[in-house]
Amino acid sequence: MSKRWIRSASLLFVGAFIAAACSTGGGGGGGSKGTIILASDFPTSGADRASGRGPEAGVDFAVSQNTTIKGFTIQHKSYDDAVNGVHDPQKGAQNVTDMCNNNKVLAMAGPFNSNVARAEIPVANKCNLAMMSPSNTNECLTQTFDYCDPKPSALRDSSQPNNYFRIAAPDTVQGPAMADFAYDTLKLTKVAVWSDNETFGKGVADNFAKEFQKKGGTVVVRQDFDWKNTSDFKTFLQRAKDAGAAGIYAGATSATKGCIPRAQEAGILTAAGIPYMGPDGIGDSQCIKDAGGEASNMYFTNAAADASQDSANKDLIDQFKKAYTGPDDYAAYTFPGYDCAKILLDAISRAIDTAGGNMPTRKQVIDAVQNTKNLKLSTGTYSFDKNGDPTNATMAFYQLKGTTWTFVKQFSTGQ
Amino acid sequence: MGAAGDTIKAGRRSLRTGITGRILDIGLYIVIAAFLLLLGWHVVQAENAGSYFAQITYFALANGAIYALIAIGYTMVYGIIELINFAHGDVFTFGCFLSASLLPVFQLKEGQVWGPGTILQLLAVMIITMLACAVLNVAIERIAYRPLRHAPRLAPLITAIGVSFFLEGALFLWKGPSQIHYPAVLPATSWSIFGANVTLTEVTVWVTTIVLVVALALFTDRSRLGKAMRATAQDRDAAALMGIDINRTIAATFFIGALLAGAGGVMYGLSYNTTVFDLGFSQGLAAFTAAVFGGIGNIYGAAVGGLLLGLIRTYWDGYFDSAWSDVMIFAILILVLVFRPTGIFGMRVPEK
Repeated sequence: MSKRWIRSASLLFVGAFIAAACSTGGGGGGGSKGTIILASDFPTSGADRASGRGPEAGVDFAVSQNTTIKGFTIQHKSYDDAVNGVHDPQKGAQNVTDMCNNNKVLAMAGPFNSNVARAEIPVANKCNLAMMSPSNTNECLTQTFDYCDPKPSALRDSSQPNNYFRIAAPDTVQGPAMADFAYDTLKLTKVAVWSDNETFGKGVADNFAKEFQKKGGTVVVRQDFDWKNTSDFKTFLQRAKDAGAAGIYAGATSATKGCIPRAQEAGILTAAGIPYMGPDGIGDSQCIKDAGGEASNMYFTNAAADASQDSANKDLIDQFKKAYTGPDDYAAYTFPGYDCAKILLDAISRAIDTAGGNMPTRKQVIDAVQNTKNLKLSTGTYSFDKNGDPTNATMAFYQLKGTTWTFVKQFSTGQ
Repeated sequence: MGAAGDTIKAGRRSLRTGITGRILDIGLYIVIAAFLLLLGWHVVQAENAGSYFAQITYFALANGAIYALIAIGYTMVYGIIELINFAHGDVFTFGCFLSASLLPVFQLKEGQVWGPGTILQLLAVMIITMLACAVLNVAIERIAYRPLRHAPRLAPLITAIGVSFFLEGALFLWKGPSQIHYPAVLPATSWSIFGANVTLTEVTVWVTTIVLVVALALFTDRSRLGKAMRATAQDRDAAALMGIDINRTIAATFFIGALLAGAGGVMYGLSYNTTVFDLGFSQGLAAFTAAVFGGIGNIYGAAVGGLLLGLIRTYWDGYFDSAWSDVMIFAILILVLVFRPTGIFGMRVPEK
């Protein structure tokens, strides 16, 4: 009985496979050589659709511009990793398993969230599927630090080539980027640095201090606070003042009292003369509320480049907006998603050459992605180091003007 | 006072008279001297040492005063019914939240122009907040502690924790999970004393604390109700036999403790310009520590303990690495308790 079930199921499977192959084969106009699928995995339903639909639409747009490459038909297959409207690592891993089992899928754009990536990397690594994320910033996905759990090596089989890449700057880049900005643009030479003593906050604060000193500046006060147990930052501010600090860097987020020291500056320091800087964690309305009457002259870094800031992208964005008119289609991560797809398509094109014009293997695609050299796209110019991180990540700077954070500028920072 | 208190008292008395008591006292002085020496060494090394030290001291005294205001409520309740009122920290947070909401109602906002009328408005906010906290604390006592007065010790302890969580939940529903900005209504006026700035906020905190602590001391020493409170603390049954209304006296203790916590809430908001729904947990723990530091059950002990806690924390923040402030506070607490198990002032029963 059970044997018969297996036989009929496998028969059904083979039948479906042939039917699918026929239909795709017929659909591809110039694709006489066959079909290559570029998959994408983002949270595209429920509350998370606001984050995930943008890059999904971006990937779709990129594929629509390149329906054939060197005789192969290119198709976009979209996966949703949201369960009940929230991104779900297990669902992501399941999607990747499905991609692995489909030998037409040569690469994948995504995922959106770092914890989803953590679950997907091991699965994709086993079948050598290239992943390219527009938005993962967790440094532990690619780089080894003492505090990383799991370590990047635990996610990958050491005998296999690295298959995970991203175009977003890892969290470790934010601190040095702001240090460059503080020294070069704001012309500060003495700063006081504090952190919330958490993994992220202390990390960015230390990296800021290191780079600022390398530039030739001085970190006059360096303090960590157990943010849960104290709200008194006046002593720190007084130390900063007495040491002659001309700026303050907060390695914290709004949730860990990142902007409360700003409010306590009244009577100690003048907000107008002392810029207050931090990572993307303070770039929200909570920070502005917390800073109260002293909410001005504040800056934060953001790892996502804004494509609309480059006038060369105007036509491209207009074209996109004409074709994609849904409410979440054009968002902060639409063009980072578009660029991910462009990098993968470029790599697939080169991999086809490597394979002598035939269907490339996934390993050949990974090699091609790794060998991407200074590919200029809408949000930056991309090459990748051996960990899969972008060698030049674009960092955007925002300044508090009035009651809103406004874009100042963005530039590429080497790591 | 129950049997446990007597044991502590008796134990301490024998400790103080014996030769070991002397040695332990000397040990305590050595600990204090070592800390002062370490601090002094850093103080003289700092640039513009004098004015910086003065500035840090002003901050420290304000921080300590706020701890003291909360700690007194813990110590009074412990003194009279030997209960650690875990909900006290949340009553303090309630005071902070309520006053933050009352300030706009009384037309007080950031960057306020000040006149005699505005002082009255702030006073009104403070008094309403204090009374509201007091009523809340009495209600907590009536609902959650009084029915369990003759139950085993652990039962009211658990209800206290329960009330604390309940209040935190209510505060969460009221203003949400993130920090609330507390408007800086006081003007940025400051005076230069010993080369350092004393702001109006610090003066307000000091004056409020001194007035309330002196008033409380006079009340417990001189008034009939104060005498009844001391008698109840000493021996509840004997006090009842002498015609003291125990329920009323205990309710009064909760009422007065929460008055101070309410004032502490306003002072906290004015000093730090922020508050959050679970503030009572961390501040309550610190204030309770201060009460133990000074000698739990002793009002002066709580005031001094709070002040010391503020001084240690702020000096540590000012001269050393602030990440270790809590470690330092508890290291000193442990050392003090090793040498003086009943705290700095000990359990001086008549002054409870």
